Amino acid sequence: MTRAWWTKFILLTITVILSLVYIFPTVANLDPEKTKFPFKQKINLGLDLQGGLYLVLGVDFNKVYKDVVERQGDSFKARLKEKGINVTSMKLIREGLPLDDVHFSVEFEPSKRNEAHDVLKKEYWTLRLVAETGASFELGLSRDFKTEVRDRTVNQSIEVIRNRIDEFGVSEPVIASQGTDRLVVELPGVREIDRAKDLIGRTAKLEFKIVDDKSMKQGDVAALIEEIEKKNDIAYKEGQKFSDYVRKINELAKGKIAADTEIAFERTRGPTGQEIGRTPYLLHSKAEVTGDDLQDASVQFDQETRRPNVSFSLNPHGAALFDKVTGEHVSHRLAIVLDNIVHSAPVIQTRISGGRGQITLGRGDGDALMREAKDLAIVLRAGALPAQLEFLEQRVVGPSLGQDSIRKGATASIIGSLAVFLFVAFYYRISGVIAVFSLLLNVVFVLALLVGLEATLTLPGIAGIALTVGIAVDSNVVIYERIREELRQGKNAQGAVGAGFQKAIRTILDANVTNAAAAIVLFMYGTGPIKGFAVTLLVGIVTTLFTAVFVCRLIFDAYLKRLENKGIQTLSI
Amino acid sequence: MFEIIKPGTQIDFVGKRFIWLGLSGLAMLATFVLFFTNGLNYGIDFTGGAEVHIKVPVSWDISKVRVEMDAAGIKGLRVQQIGELSLHEFLIKAQGDEKSLNLVSGQVRGVLEKQLKPGEFEIHRSDVVGPAAGSSLRNSGFLAMFYALLCILVYVTIRFDYRYSPGAVIALFHDSVITLGVFIVTQKQFDLQILAALLALIGYSNNDTIIVYDRVRETVKQHPELNISKAVNRAVNETLARTILTSLTTFISVFALWLFGGKVIEDFAFTLMVGIVVGTYSSIFIASSLVISITNYYDKRAAKLKAGGNAKTGKHQMTARPNPGHVSG
Repeated sequence: MTRAWWTKFILLTITVILSLVYIFPTVANLDPEKTKFPFKQKINLGLDLQGGLYLVLGVDFNKVYKDVVERQGDSFKARLKEKGINVTSMKLIREGLPLDDVHFSVEFEPSKRNEAHDVLKKEYWTLRLVAETGASFELGLSRDFKTEVRDRTVNQSIEVIRNRIDEFGVSEPVIASQGTDRLVVELPGVREIDRAKDLIGRTAKLEFKIVDDKSMKQGDVAALIEEIEKKNDIAYKEGQKFSDYVRKINELAKGKIAADTEIAFERTRGPTGQEIGRTPYLLHSKAEVTGDDLQDASVQFDQETRRPNVSFSLNPHGAALFDKVTGEHVSHRLAIVLDNIVHSAPVIQTRISGGRGQITLGRGDGDALMREAKDLAIVLRAGALPAQLEFLEQRVVGPSLGQDSIRKGATASIIGSLAVFLFVAFYYRISGVIAVFSLLLNVVFVLALLVGLEATLTLPGIAGIALTVGIAVDSNVVIYERIREELRQGKNAQGAVGAGFQKAIRTILDANVTNAAAAIVLFMYGTGPIKGFAVTLLVGIVTTLFTAVFVCRLIFDAYLKRLENKGIQTLSI
Repeated sequence: MFEIIKPGTQIDFVGKRFIWLGLSGLAMLATFVLFFTNGLNYGIDFTGGAEVHIKVPVSWDISKVRVEMDAAGIKGLRVQQIGELSLHEFLIKAQGDEKSLNLVSGQVRGVLEKQLKPGEFEIHRSDVVGPAAGSSLRNSGFLAMFYALLCILVYVTIRFDYRYSPGAVIALFHDSVITLGVFIVTQKQFDLQILAALLALIGYSNNDTIIVYDRVRETVKQHPELNISKAVNRAVNETLARTILTSLTTFISVFALWLFGGKVIEDFAFTLMVGIVVGTYSSIFIASSLVISITNYYDKRAAKLKAGGNAKTGKHQMTARPNPGHVSG
């Protein structure tokens, strides 16, 4: 064989070995914790195969828009006043407008019209001037700001849901946005649909509570918890309800902590969302201020240090409460608690009056700090502007149906593939065997790529693999029929194989391009199981091109060489 | 060498092309009529609704299930036994507004938990789709089919030319419509999975058509003496083995899925089976016939244009005058 052939052969061998390494943990069903095998990742199974809960949630923006418009209006009015422009009336306009568009009108002294214009233009990119008279503006949200509100609302909803899903201790939950106004939540292994819905659909509860550092030091709290855990043999393990654990700790700590206090935790998460640390706090049970009184929160940059901080504003009721509590507790810490989980506990530096405050963050590098600031702003907004969620789709698959599906799907695929293999080997003899071999490699490559891409295998996806085998044979048939034709026209084996491959490639490419086009549309349209189908089809198209054109040709070259060495002129095809 | 089609076979496919076109046209027309009269049996993915698949002990027959569920206050209730009778599995279906649908899975669970011991029953699957979500899924689904067809139209136009692309796309449209027709006639449930299968078919069944078209073009180039009908017929015959074999192997895989793949993907596989058969038929009979008709149409139009603007009336015929060419200078 030529050098070029050997190079290709070695390349192929490496690809095959690598692919086998990728699929071994899945096929052998290795336990990733115990095995010594270097590669541990297994194929992801879709919810339809492993069982679990799939929810599509719609975010109701209309209420959020209305709240935001109201707050923008208040802020604009206040700003005009600061500039010495008297606002004579302000009202919300909803009539005659689509649900997602709310306006407000402000009336001011006609003589200050230019000044009012200035304020609007320079300071309020968030507002859009819809109509104006000599002494009034009608304002709505600007398009950019609306988009921002939308994105923020979706992000905060995701954050809130993630927070609550920890209740289930699901090992690999998926919470993602779909389109602009939908969320998809996948909870593998969860079957209690009503409890899940109850948890997810509840409005977020944000509270500010004073940290009690006086009656007990934070280190002592941690020691106390450790003691309780040891004595009563309780510990939080993944898969349990975190709130149960917290309740138990609090029950057992009663009498050891001051009355009217409670223990709450801050949970630190790693990049994939798993818990990597837990900090206990002793809090005063009474919530000093709640999310209802919070108006908005955003990330701002300090002019001097260029470091991000989180600014927030309160409504008049909240401002009064905040003024009082910060005045009484200077140098204490104020915990920000969302759905009973502590997210931050900044120290109160000064009395905060006027309903505006900011939280500066600790040390850290720029990116991490920015992320922290964003997360905190999301938590605060989740309490300030809670979004209503609607359940659009709820699907639960029981574990036994999933198991049954895997078994049947795999059996059907294997039987179908074997039948195709037999047929091809029978019809094309030795060339058929070559095709079967390349088809087998094709399946190995598809599976390896699915593992490598961390794609999700669903039941239609399994069907997609079976279909890929069926479609991949098409390429072999097209090539072989072409070779047969070339042979009939009197070409020798070598010539016929060369011409056959060359002329067939274009047809094969065409076929796969249109297949891919449909699969891509399917990928964009589909969700859940359907998306899994589209992914296997796409992956299958890539591997089919590789095996039919490259692998099959490589083996054919070796086969031709063998014929030549033996002095045989006829091809077994 | 095994050959299902002997080389040199000359079956006259295109001679009777008006019969095939007529038959397919009728079938499509019938589908359209049925679509608006009988309609598709849309699953809850597209209409909204709730479906809970349960397994209960032998002592519960279908009427017992219905009575119990009815007593729980499930609105728009329908109970259906599915799978093998011995397994005692039922599908509880409900229709209604968002609010009542949201309760269904809880109501079913409540009944079972109250009346039976744990382990005696099982909830295999529970799907609830809100009415609004259903109609948006349906719209975006048909839109996706339209986009897929459009993509393929563009590709075939770039790859071949205007004589071929309409035929390819009409053939694909034909395949989708007839497959839908089968779903209307059998009243099998039409859901997201079926739509996915149809989309995959749009990609797949174009393959055979391309093989035929490729060969038509090659034949036209190599044998300019043949008229278009002869060239097409020759191409169809030469590629016949290929067309049948490629469809056959895919059909084998899908058939195995249909037979052994279980209830959940049975209809999915069924759609693919129907689509593959219809697609093969359309590649051989319809797509090829359309090339002839379209080529003839363009040729006639070209001849008319050549014959001049008054050709329509036929009274004043004018012969083409030699082009005087550009006057240089």
